[in-house]
Amino acid sequence: MNNTKKYTRRHFLQDMAFGGGGLIVLGTFGFRIFKDKEQNLIKAISVNFEKCTGCRTCETACSAYNHPIVIDNEKVNGLGNPHYSNIKVYHFNPDIDIPSTCALCPDAPCIEACPVAPDMITGRKALYRDDNMSIKNDTERCIGCMQCAKACENIRGGIIHSNPETHKPEGMCTLCDGNPHCVENCPFGALDYIEIPADRDIANLAPAKIAERLIKQLYNINV
Amino acid sequence: MAINGYYGQLLDINLTTGEINKSQIPEEDLKRFIGGRGLGTIILWDKLPGPGVDPLSPENVLLFMPGPFSGLPIPSSSRTTVVTKSTRTSAVNSKYEHGSTVSYSNMGGFFGPEIKFAGYDGICITGKADKPVYIKIEDDNVEIIDAGKFWGMGTEEFDNALIDELGDRKFESCYIGPAGEQLIPMASILNTAARAAGRGGTGCVMGSKNLKAIAIKGTQSPKLGDHKAYIELLSKVRKSFREDNTDELKWWRHGGTTGALTSSSRNGTQAVKNYGEGTFGEIEKIGTEANREKVWKRDFACFSCHLACKKSGIAKGSYSVMVHDGPEYETGTMLGANLLISDLSGLQKLIAVADDYGIDIISVGNTIGFLMEAYEKGLIDKAYLDNIDLKWGDVAASLEMMHKICNREGIGDKACNGVKYMANEIGQDSHKFAIHVKGHELAAWNVPVNSDYWSITYATSNRGACHMNGGSPDSQDDAALRDSIAACSFASTWYKDEISYAKFLTAITGLDWSEEEFAKAGTRIFTLEKMFNYREGFNINDDVLPPKFFENKFTVGDHKGAIVDRNFFKNHLADYYKLRAWDTKTSKPKNETLIDLDLGFTIERT
Repeated sequence: MNNTKKYTRRHFLQDMAFGGGGLIVLGTFGFRIFKDKEQNLIKAISVNFEKCTGCRTCETACSAYNHPIVIDNEKVNGLGNPHYSNIKVYHFNPDIDIPSTCALCPDAPCIEACPVAPDMITGRKALYRDDNMSIKNDTERCIGCMQCAKACENIRGGIIHSNPETHKPEGMCTLCDGNPHCVENCPFGALDYIEIPADRDIANLAPAKIAERLIKQLYNINV
Repeated sequence: MAINGYYGQLLDINLTTGEINKSQIPEEDLKRFIGGRGLGTIILWDKLPGPGVDPLSPENVLLFMPGPFSGLPIPSSSRTTVVTKSTRTSAVNSKYEHGSTVSYSNMGGFFGPEIKFAGYDGICITGKADKPVYIKIEDDNVEIIDAGKFWGMGTEEFDNALIDELGDRKFESCYIGPAGEQLIPMASILNTAARAAGRGGTGCVMGSKNLKAIAIKGTQSPKLGDHKAYIELLSKVRKSFREDNTDELKWWRHGGTTGALTSSSRNGTQAVKNYGEGTFGEIEKIGTEANREKVWKRDFACFSCHLACKKSGIAKGSYSVMVHDGPEYETGTMLGANLLISDLSGLQKLIAVADDYGIDIISVGNTIGFLMEAYEKGLIDKAYLDNIDLKWGDVAASLEMMHKICNREGIGDKACNGVKYMANEIGQDSHKFAIHVKGHELAAWNVPVNSDYWSITYATSNRGACHMNGGSPDSQDDAALRDSIAACSFASTWYKDEISYAKFLTAITGLDWSEEEFAKAGTRIFTLEKMFNYREGFNINDDVLPPKFFENKFTVGDHKGAIVDRNFFKNHLADYYKLRAWDTKTSKPKNETLIDLDLGFTIERT
């Protein structure tokens, strides 16, 4: 690296969002492993912690889009109770807010942990990576063992949880059919749907761990 | 079946008996009083056995009221109003020993939305627990839990301790600090360790019920009247914010209300030196730019807000302190300019300590300013102040006084009652510079410059002196409406024409809220509060201003010489009553006015 520019707090925060500081909320994945059909760059959602104000608009937008209601046979956005959102914003004191969501991890420990045998034709376990790279669950085949959630909780962001009624995993980012509503509706430009460089190796972290580092960095105190 | 946009359900908790009920809110009340402040006031009116109830008795009612907008991601419209009977106000001459006004105090943050998500249009607390408790609510599951180990804890520590106990960061909560526990009349209720329902003694009432906190989360949403129309309006208003390039939006994001510290000082409208001046020469030291440079690290927004006026950081200097929010215009003026304090880290320390105790910064800053003036004038000596050398601009002395007040220690046991009480104690005409109306201390906007607006604002506010009241019937009714739907006054300029509040309320409820009917509801809500107060013994003799404004001229700044003209105020107030169709001799709303507003039921009960 020949970058001699002064390394400022802004750079640090940006790097955190993109993974240089070892932290990422929505991560990336290597191109050698994943490419979309047209061989274009893969896109994912990144968080700029400096811009996030903790308003939770992203939660309401995610919930509204992914939990639509049907009126006159037409799907319409729901009211967006944040409880049903896949992206979650966590408040911490000292003041910092951590939006946390599925990182579509390249190595997908959640899929790795799924004990359901791969389908003979598709090669998919119950938990599988869809064509758009998002993680999906085949509820027909899922046995509800929640090993996926445990794996995510143990070594990544802990974003998978059990649906209280079906007892099947949920919380994975759907990318909203290619137009993530959290990004579109963030009032502060804190979320981006970006192209990811090829060789980044970044892992999602639990919100509390991100908060701990950010608080140290921002306020220069330990919590 | 409730009206659309509501559940029609009030969570009713009696802390004496431990009874928890989900009681039906009459449809008529939702239609007439909307939610938040308005709905809270009619519930208070109905639940109190009558006038004169001691606000600290178990009979008093403490209401946490979101509005019909709360929890919907309508930008900057999810505030929470706390409604109760005030611990702060008293009439010049009431037949009731405990006659006091209604109190409504409004906080941002995330608490109100979660009340809606849990399936309620409000939470109503009555009675008194026999030991400290907190309330945990998850949808239908409501528990009253021992809070002994939290009693005495400052809000800063408790904010984290409660989350640890609950084991779930997705609970939203509000709580009191040691000030509320010790029944300091000016105690406040906080959420997120900073955002406060500060005024009117909300925290004192909560403390009197032995209630430390309420934590809540939920999974529900009401059914809307016209869902598609709402979605369309939401997308329009989001677009108007997204495409907004005005200085106003930038101003809110850059400094929040702190931006007003310097502009108000320049305009001579700031409370400086216990309201003796309108301009503070050293205001730049505590203004937006100083804070941006030295203190603030990040901007914070309330639920689904696009303004993000709250700022946090670390202040370093003569004091080192975590800053959750500040200085805002009110806190920076009341503990800064009003006390001639310009040491930024000292000011931040004072704000942080006040929030940690959970005390109304407007009232406590006003009270310390009053004592400073009395001390300077020689009406009280150092011994009276427990040896505190309470001089203008002295951070350490102010801090010491703050601790005394919040712990009811020595002089603090008296001073915690505010300036009206202290003026009675000290005598010697000190009432002339006791800056309160109806016992409630004035806020950070000074009166003489723009006195036509501010004199009416303070003299006629229903919770006693209130800077958010509005200086004309129309602006007062608008404020009452915003507090009732749960909208933030800072964002009101974005809601007009085809994206007006009335249009949103129409879509949410499916009722036909014309602009006229909506405006009338504002008048109805304000007038009901007025009738509440009238019933408690407040009349025209209580709609006054402190004598200082008629006797003291500003000596510095562009508005040197500014003073309030007594006759001007008198005439202006009479005009106000006429506009309101209130009796100009008593200030009582006329019977035909009340009947026209569907408030006929108040006539026989006053």
